[in-house]
Amino acid sequence: MIDTNTTMELAKLGGGIAIGFGAIGAGLGIGFATKGLMDAISRQPEIAGKAFGFFLLGAALSEACALYAFVVAAKLIGLM
Amino acid sequence: MSQMGHWVYNTVIAGHQMSFNLDTIFTMWFAMGVIIIFAIIATRKLTLIPSKLQALCENIMQFFWGTLDTMIPNKNRQHVPLVASLFLFILFANLMGQLPLRIIHLKTGELASPTNDLNLTAAMAIIVLVYYLFMGFKTKGLKYLLHEFSFTGIIMALVEILEMITRPLSLAIRLFANIFAGEILVSVALGLSAYLLPLPVMLFEILVAFIQATVFMMLTIAYISSATGEEH
Repeated sequence: MIDTNTTMELAKLGGGIAIGFGAIGAGLGIGFATKGLMDAISRQPEIAGKAFGFFLLGAALSEACALYAFVVAAKLIGLM
Repeated sequence: MSQMGHWVYNTVIAGHQMSFNLDTIFTMWFAMGVIIIFAIIATRKLTLIPSKLQALCENIMQFFWGTLDTMIPNKNRQHVPLVASLFLFILFANLMGQLPLRIIHLKTGELASPTNDLNLTAAMAIIVLVYYLFMGFKTKGLKYLLHEFSFTGIIMALVEILEMITRPLSLAIRLFANIFAGEILVSVALGLSAYLLPLPVMLFEILVAFIQATVFMMLTIAYISSATGEEH
């Protein structure tokens, strides 16, 4: 049986792992979104302003995935 | 980082244990008061040739109308009250986190932006859920849930019911986590180097405030659009 102190330490370890894996997905998502933005701008430079607005929306949506992981991590570490 | 907690007031109402986050309630009414006073001042003397303030407000309304026109095909301007008040409230609430309200000391917790409380964002997400369900049932009747009585129709209805849970959950947690993570980021930057590092992070948080208000509004419009639009 693991005592309470060790469990708390392991929970902090789990929080670190959670935010790490969550950041992988969000990083991939924002990377793909940037790739799409660059493709669009290089094909059609006059659309840059409009495309950048949609890019910000998409980046915010994929960044939210990392923040779901962040909520779990904050819960595990005990921030909230 | 124990100051991340809230100023909780516990009481018993009709036999139920209730707890109120007083700091959230105070900052929420502060943000709403700013918007209400701004709206009253801006609409007091309306003229045909707009003054500067009236022109600004007309531009804001044009923004909402334009967004609704591009995303919902017909009968779209009836959604302006919900969409506009959600956007303005979330924007002001997010921006309030960068005001130096923390100099007012509370017993526990601190006066930050009210959207760093999951209860507030969850309440807004549930309002959006109820609204788009109401609009869906109003425009399509019971066909909104079960548009054809067949195997795929039932599966689609089950997916629709699952979305009733996941959509408000993701809306609430997205807004909450962005603002909460921003505040943690500012406090971590403050721990690394005072004055120098938190300033760019706070400027980034202003950008995040605008983006998150837009994202919440866009998703609300998209959900209303999918509830009232044609089946494909």
